[in-house]
Amino acid sequence: MSIQDALFPRGKIAGVFPTLTSRGDEAYVDFIEDARNVLMHAQQRPISEYSQQLMKDAGIDDSPDRETTQAAIDLLMQDPTLKTYYRVKRSLQESFWFGLSKSFNQRRDAIVAAFDAAEAAGPGTVEYDANWQDSAPEYASREIHIQPGGYLKDELAGVFYDYGLKVFMGGAADHDRLAKGVSMATAMPDDGQVSRILDLGVSAGATTIALKEKHPDAEVWGIDISAPMVRYAHVRAMEAGAEIHLRQMAAEEMDFPDNHFDAVLAMLLFHELPVPVAKEVIAEVFRVLRPGGKFTVLDFPSVRSRGTYSMFFAEMDAADNGEPYLPDFVRSNVEDLLVEAGFELEHYDPKAALTRGRVVVKPVA
Amino acid sequence: MAKLKEADLAYTNDLPGAERGNPSYFENEVIDHLLGIVLELGAQFWVLRDRQAFLEEQLAAKGVVSAEDLDHGKPSDELLAKLKAERLAMIQQVYGRLYSTYGGDKAAATSAPMS
Repeated sequence: MSIQDALFPRGKIAGVFPTLTSRGDEAYVDFIEDARNVLMHAQQRPISEYSQQLMKDAGIDDSPDRETTQAAIDLLMQDPTLKTYYRVKRSLQESFWFGLSKSFNQRRDAIVAAFDAAEAAGPGTVEYDANWQDSAPEYASREIHIQPGGYLKDELAGVFYDYGLKVFMGGAADHDRLAKGVSMATAMPDDGQVSRILDLGVSAGATTIALKEKHPDAEVWGIDISAPMVRYAHVRAMEAGAEIHLRQMAAEEMDFPDNHFDAVLAMLLFHELPVPVAKEVIAEVFRVLRPGGKFTVLDFPSVRSRGTYSMFFAEMDAADNGEPYLPDFVRSNVEDLLVEAGFELEHYDPKAALTRGRVVVKPVA
Repeated sequence: MAKLKEADLAYTNDLPGAERGNPSYFENEVIDHLLGIVLELGAQFWVLRDRQAFLEEQLAAKGVVSAEDLDHGKPSDELLAKLKAERLAMIQQVYGRLYSTYGGDKAAATSAPMS
């Protein structure tokens, strides 16, 4: 079974994504995607204004502390329209994964066979634990975004994730535009010496590929705690002709030597980690980054720039959309954790947290 | 740095969202089920509408069409654009009223960067 037949039997979608098995499957997901656009995304501003008016009328302060956030949850989730909004949001997410699973499962064996066949082929390399299905840590096995099986326990996790990204990002990830933007935002050392770059939590590998395309002379490595993700990312890299090196590895316990990399990227990784793990990851990055090297963290803004409604939204996303670590991440003020670990903060603008991120430097002696 | 032990992360099992769960938003969970059902029926209706439109396009172009063509083919870009506009209008017309309390039924469809 070729990769083309297994993953792209009806051509690629938006340049890079695997195709669903039939036109009917695609029509089902098209409906879910546009229902999200109309019934979720288009509602974000008006429903925020509506919710904040309810909070104001009830005398709830605009403060992100836990007590105020809980008061907002208790108030807003009594409102019939808001109950409807969150019900619709959850139902659309469940239907999306149902449609995707039903479609890809029809050719599951062929896709897995194509992954197997791709392993020995290049450019680039992939390595993972042969016993990956038994070695997944509990904290990383959550069903993030309520993706069935999560990122670690389903062989097709990378395929599901990638298609999910296409839909959740509302087209921003099409043709890998998002990943290319991230590669531009990934900070490089001031001395211009870029021999090795590391991408943490690569998932489908789009950013790792984009980093290699932007820095063709550098050795580019990508790690993910999920074996299915690095297996899929390897296929993605093959399709792109990108020589990247993928390893199944936990970012909190890396096998790389000290002072090994010139630049490290973590794109939307930290909000998927419990804070104790996040602190270990930061310590490990400090170890593997060379003095003068830079670490770019693209993730959601910290609590100090948020109000009650923003924290309410984060808490709801945590509970209903499989994001259990998001609120604690936001409250951890990760830029502070980076400085506590020894980094110097070079840049952080909360309004550009997802586009320019937090950039820190490992001091030179 | 001392490595974390399983017990250090045991608290994460109790965090909201750690388990997939099956949340109810209404006191009467039948309302939750009914909203899920009407959304699913909309999706199933749309699958049929899409197939009908694709069938009509194929018949006009070729005269004879196989189920294989309909299952594995791809509508023209023109038809895909027409279907998208029709789909957005249908969703807004059928479901938008759910948000009429605050005027959300008139909100134009947009894409957002993150779910």
